[in-house]
Amino acid sequence: MKKRTLLYGFLIASFCFAGISCTKFLNKDIQGVYPADQFYTTSANAVQATNEAYAALTFTSATTNPLWVFGDVASDDAASGNPAASQDAATIDNFSFSTTNSHLSNEWGNFYEGITNCNLVLANVPTIQMDTALRSRLLGEARFLRAWYYFMLVNIYQNVPIVLTPLTPAQMQITQSPAKVIYETVIEPDLLAALNVLPASYTGADIGRATSGAAAALLAKVYLYQEKWDSSLTWSNLVVNSGKYSLMPLYSQDFDVAHKNNIESIFEVQMLGGQDPNVGNALNQWFGPQVVGGYYCDAPDSNFVAEFEVTDSAVADPRLNYTVAADSTLWNNGEIYLSSWSPQTGYLTRKYQQPLSQAPIIGQGSCDYLAIRYADVLLFNAEALNETGQLAASVIPLNVVRARARNSYLYDSTLAGFGAVPAGLLPPVPAVSQNQVRLAIIHERRVELGFEFHRYFDLMRYAANSNLGPSYVNPLINRDGVTGFSYAVDYPFPIPQSEMDIDKALK
Amino acid sequence: MCIFHSGALKRPLTIACALLCTAILTTAVRANGDILPHAGKQHITVKTANISLQQAFQLIEKQTRLQFAYDEYEIDLSRKLVLKSGHVSLGELLDTISIQTGYKFTQVKNTILVSSVALALSNAEKAQFPPPVRGVITDSSGRPLPGATVLIKGTKISVQTDVAGRFAINAQPDAILVVSYVGYRTLEVAVKGQQELIVAIQEIREDLNQVVVMGYQTQRRSAIAGAVSVVNVDDVARIPVGFADQALQGQASGVRITQSTGQPGDGLALRIRGVGSVNNNDPLYIIDGVPTTDGINFLPADDIATITVLKDAASAAIYGARSSNGVVVITTKNGKSGKTSILYSVYAGVQTHGYLTPMANAAEFKTLYNEMVVNDNAGLAPGNPLIKIPIPDSIPMANTNWIGSIFRTAPEQDHELSVSGGSEKTQYSVSGNYFNQDGIILNSWYKRYTLHTKLVSEITDHLRIGTNLNFSYYSKNSIGSSGDGYGGNGGSVIRYALFRDPAIPIYNAPGVYTDLPTYPGFFGDGYNPVGLANNTNNVEKQFRGFGDVFAEYKLLPGLIFKSDFGGDVFLTQDKTFFLNWGTNGRINDPNTLTETQTTSENMIWNNTFRYNTTFNKKNNLNFLIGTEAVTNTTLYTSETQQNFPTQIPSLEFLGNGISMPITTESEQQWALLSFLANANYSYDNEFFVTGSARRDGSSRFGPSNRWGNFFSGAVAWNITNEPWFIEKFPIVSRLKLRASYGQLGNQNIGGDYPWASIVGTSITSSNVKNYVFGSPSLVVQGNTISTLGNANVKWETSTQSDVGMDLAILRDKLSLTVDYFDKVNSNMLVAVPLPMIGGTASAPFVNDGSVQNKGFEFDLQYKNADHRLKYSFGANLATIQNKVLSIPVPIQGGRIDNGVYATLTTAGHPIGSFYGYQMNGIFQNANDIFTSAYQGPGVRPGDVKYKDINGDGKIDANDRTFLGSAIPKFTYGATSTLSYQNFDLFVLFQGGYGNKIYLQVNQDIEGFYRPFNLTKRVYDTRWHGEGTSNTMPLVSWLDQPNNIKEPSSRFLEDASYCRLKNVQLGYTLPKQLTNRLHIKALRLYMTGTNLVTITKYTGLDPEMYISNNVKAEQYQSDVAAGIDWGTYPAARSYILGANLNF
Repeated sequence: MKKRTLLYGFLIASFCFAGISCTKFLNKDIQGVYPADQFYTTSANAVQATNEAYAALTFTSATTNPLWVFGDVASDDAASGNPAASQDAATIDNFSFSTTNSHLSNEWGNFYEGITNCNLVLANVPTIQMDTALRSRLLGEARFLRAWYYFMLVNIYQNVPIVLTPLTPAQMQITQSPAKVIYETVIEPDLLAALNVLPASYTGADIGRATSGAAAALLAKVYLYQEKWDSSLTWSNLVVNSGKYSLMPLYSQDFDVAHKNNIESIFEVQMLGGQDPNVGNALNQWFGPQVVGGYYCDAPDSNFVAEFEVTDSAVADPRLNYTVAADSTLWNNGEIYLSSWSPQTGYLTRKYQQPLSQAPIIGQGSCDYLAIRYADVLLFNAEALNETGQLAASVIPLNVVRARARNSYLYDSTLAGFGAVPAGLLPPVPAVSQNQVRLAIIHERRVELGFEFHRYFDLMRYAANSNLGPSYVNPLINRDGVTGFSYAVDYPFPIPQSEMDIDKALK
Repeated sequence: MCIFHSGALKRPLTIACALLCTAILTTAVRANGDILPHAGKQHITVKTANISLQQAFQLIEKQTRLQFAYDEYEIDLSRKLVLKSGHVSLGELLDTISIQTGYKFTQVKNTILVSSVALALSNAEKAQFPPPVRGVITDSSGRPLPGATVLIKGTKISVQTDVAGRFAINAQPDAILVVSYVGYRTLEVAVKGQQELIVAIQEIREDLNQVVVMGYQTQRRSAIAGAVSVVNVDDVARIPVGFADQALQGQASGVRITQSTGQPGDGLALRIRGVGSVNNNDPLYIIDGVPTTDGINFLPADDIATITVLKDAASAAIYGARSSNGVVVITTKNGKSGKTSILYSVYAGVQTHGYLTPMANAAEFKTLYNEMVVNDNAGLAPGNPLIKIPIPDSIPMANTNWIGSIFRTAPEQDHELSVSGGSEKTQYSVSGNYFNQDGIILNSWYKRYTLHTKLVSEITDHLRIGTNLNFSYYSKNSIGSSGDGYGGNGGSVIRYALFRDPAIPIYNAPGVYTDLPTYPGFFGDGYNPVGLANNTNNVEKQFRGFGDVFAEYKLLPGLIFKSDFGGDVFLTQDKTFFLNWGTNGRINDPNTLTETQTTSENMIWNNTFRYNTTFNKKNNLNFLIGTEAVTNTTLYTSETQQNFPTQIPSLEFLGNGISMPITTESEQQWALLSFLANANYSYDNEFFVTGSARRDGSSRFGPSNRWGNFFSGAVAWNITNEPWFIEKFPIVSRLKLRASYGQLGNQNIGGDYPWASIVGTSITSSNVKNYVFGSPSLVVQGNTISTLGNANVKWETSTQSDVGMDLAILRDKLSLTVDYFDKVNSNMLVAVPLPMIGGTASAPFVNDGSVQNKGFEFDLQYKNADHRLKYSFGANLATIQNKVLSIPVPIQGGRIDNGVYATLTTAGHPIGSFYGYQMNGIFQNANDIFTSAYQGPGVRPGDVKYKDINGDGKIDANDRTFLGSAIPKFTYGATSTLSYQNFDLFVLFQGGYGNKIYLQVNQDIEGFYRPFNLTKRVYDTRWHGEGTSNTMPLVSWLDQPNNIKEPSSRFLEDASYCRLKNVQLGYTLPKQLTNRLHIKALRLYMTGTNLVTITKYTGLDPEMYISNNVKAEQYQSDVAAGIDWGTYPAARSYILGANLNF
């Protein structure tokens, strides 16, 4: 009997065993990854969180950050190119897209992803016990980047929701704010705050982070877009007079992996090929010819090519050949470029294109994207001066840009006639009238900054400008007769349908 | 006759009967208590004088090797006895008991038979014995029945038949014999002076007395009050497929099984009673007591003994937390006591493809392309950059049938060898299976080896232990079988084959696959599907051990404790080499080797007490209480390396690449702890009441919401036990009414830590990227929140009610089961799609939303074995009405293009309803456009016309409408078996009605916007002038945004189908022949599967349900079902097989 009692006891004990350590048994801690509440605790993690805020700038995918579609394809500079690879770009090219177009949703999501990462830094890093100088720099970087992303959103979609803190799901129903409010309450304050805490330059492993110069240059641009000419002039003057920046001797060096982060670079999106996970530039493949495995997208239009100045003796602006590959010219690997490589227009862009020897994996180029370079700021400066009536002063920076292009003949030994600038090439622009200078600057921006994804945004602000207006811009975009662009109807791009469906506060 | 051994636990009744009765016939000793052999020599120590009869029996059983046998309804065990304490002889003791109770004892070997009257015949009766009547008792097919009872009506005289079914009984010529046998209908036969009788008795439908494995215990089928489907395993075993779940198709009502792709080894989707959640809808499998949600691919159909599908709350609720999608309970085969049985089953056959989409040939493609050029150049000024040129005649064109070139005639074979047997105390079974199937598309294959052992032993009268172990190993090479690569497993080879232009040859040179054609502008730049399939090297291997050990201890009569420890451990290894090939090495550049290992350890321990008692003869009560603890750890590691200079298989190993290898590791854990209770009460086999309760704690929820309680109850009334009913409706042999109600839980939501927000890295999360800083450039790591958590998440609860009826008429020949159910899944865990303004972190789960499934289920059986031609017919049909009752935000799913979704899950409509524009013909002329709703600029005659749903005169997003769903309105299956002498025939039809599939691939092969091939249907039926077509638009790339881009009814097709799933003709060799060959039985058969499919669906296989693409969607299940990107179709096969019994 005693034996049996023991047995019963054992059975009942084992039966209840699981119950004794209930809570312990059911506590399964997260393995191998950080729970969010344990992450924002160290200086190193604060840096990593800030690094992530830069990621939305990159072109590791040409579709998740389709800035080329908006900046170039939507403008009069480029056609979508390959119909298979860029079907959604083709419908943006001729403004027949629908609100479900993937580029609309991808770019929207990309920039808000960047904003979210900035907001996480701004919300969590201030409480981390760490070096205060580093902390304020990281916060400055996040504010600069947030301003950058909002500026991009405003340029594409105009009125968008303002999000300045990490949101809970319940808080994610937010309506659009007018662009003016976004400029005044987000972009400008963020940039001014960043300007005060960011260093003027970095060394070594930190090169490529946002600087005070980048914040000033972006401020100049932001004011320019709002036609606040005086403010724009203030900030572009600050950059020009800082003595920190100058033009590279040769235009093509700006697009060359050997000259990354050069003296002309003010803010540069850093890319590197051959890494896993990939941080390479996908544009190398998307804009490349099929013979090397490219998708021949963003193909320059003939009227873009026609924009480049040609001397009486048929010498073209050397920037044309640095920007556009035309029939029978030399391509990157020594092969002869044929117009049949770009079935739609006959041209391909040379920017972000590397020889196979440099980028053996074609989808992972190492060319950076120069988001703001000094030539751009010189042209802001010229424009602000001109618009504020300082005609004589305005042509000075303009002509600095032209001179560098002209002087390619002094630095590029591959040019026929190297050593001397051909006669009549890119002469200085005279300060004749405000409108002539205005048109000269527009022309100069188009050829100097071609295929750097600025043209459409420039055109849209020209259309809003009382001196130019839609009547100036509509025919430009409507170049082939089928595009049917009308500023009144087609500006801005619509908020993607998928976002309208989910954020019910959007109107 | 119902005899229970008090000492034994669950010995098969028939064996007990047969043993006893045969013994009586041959060696029975007439006894009335004092003539027991050896009884006088044995002595019993009696300690307590006042005990019950039951205690007295136990006393004797304990002290001797004897056992008592008696009919529980006849012998009252609670009778009190007054015995003499001390040492008494057994005979004396039994005499005393016999005097006090009036019961008589008869010893047969070691069993003492207890009866209320003497079995013996009086001398007077004996004197009247006429010459014996002899005869044979057989079943309806003429098979002799050993151990049947033959009783002379009105007397106590009875005999049992011997092993040959023979009996001899001294009956008067005018006597009436009552023939009875367990599982057979009792029959009365008049002797009428005959001396030789052959009596065939009719089998009672075996499912009535069938023992059904339910939650943690078994029940007689007739006592079940809930809704369960007991699958006819014989039918399942007939279907020669490698995977048991595949063989289940069409066999049980309300269980929808779809084989989403024909890739050997790809899993199936099994849905019980509809689709209850936007999350996982896979059922829980319980295999020999061990739960798994990782499928049953490791289990050969031949090893399965029983399959029970628990459908309603009453039957599934005992599995609480994981039961809301229904439970499939499987037991594997075990040996039977008696002679060793050796079985060898083999089949082999070939598989081919079925229907293929007719595609345009090279000449037709050229015609279409050039027509497109004319259409699109219309209205363009000369020199316009958009002007296209036609395909010049000078360009050489091949004429390749791509879709035909990727298929092959593929062999498959299966071998199963099993040995089983055992003694009365110990039964065992050992089986091994080898299955090898090549896929019908090049380079896809699957091989599997399994070993199954099972052992159950009664160590003592109180202790029974058992073990069940399955070891399996498979390897398979998977080519892209569905989707366009978005899901991560490469695009479907079918898709590439449909796209590829016929003008391109397969090979450039012998053995060198073509890639880009010379003129991609004319002939496209897709992948060569033959090259793609043959270059795929994606081998997955899995080692899996599955099984349990248990011990069962009988504590008191009727009270049993069971402890069962089980495990499911598997290691899956995948090694994929992404070969670099194609023009300029453009495909898979750089080449990459990826190896992944997943180790999943699933441990389960359950402890139960169960108690069964009968009181006042008519009341039966059983209780079950228990605990269950489940814990799972999944470890995942992966290694990747790129840039292998030499691409040959012997060098495709980690370390041979040039880049730095990347290694990642992650681990996930979860645990479940449960307390369960179940009670079943029945009165006189007439009224049944069942109740279950379960309390579950899951680690997947935050501490405050960890525990959930689940209750259910059911009642049933067996009307055929009412005398008045039998009198009024003699035709009805069985009628049972059932009703149940209860709640089930669901915690299977994909993630193990839904309560926490997680920070991810670029390796672990798709929304995290690295960045680059510095001079020289160096990669820096980025981190951000990749998943949002919600500390308040708790269980999904499914509340289900069911009413049902089991009806049988014509002496059970025709039976019908009908159920109606209404299942509402509430507190549904929804990862509410978040606006992109909040970032790209995965949305947290919230308990919000509910889904209703309701419908009818019918199971009809007709069986006639009265003639030499025996036949049976079974049909099942289930209707489903699925409706989302509420959901916080409508969910888009079913991506058909970047950012474009074809389904919308919203209140008032089924989960995953197709949502888009309604095509309303083709614009025939300018006037047609002018008089129709405005559809946008550039619309011209020949373009698709859409319906202005809201009638506002323009077509825009507000004109999107609900177009149907991928959930069928009803599903059905029908089987028929026929046997005549040695031949048997089996036919299985299976199908579904009312579901739709979005034929996404047709957007590309019928919507023309780039140089890929088109269907023959485009060539034949396209619009090319007024009145030429009202279904197929003109060929135009420019008009693509209007004609293709948005989801519309244009590519939505009715996927109703009826499939002749299986036909089998078998021949069993005659006994004389097999005897000569020294084998017990040999059956040969030939079978065909998927021979005929009746459907309007124009894709390759209407059975496709979930594509690989959903793996990249937020809702990876039914929300995105029914998008066909070009799917590897199920094979048609022709097989020869043999079942050999030694």
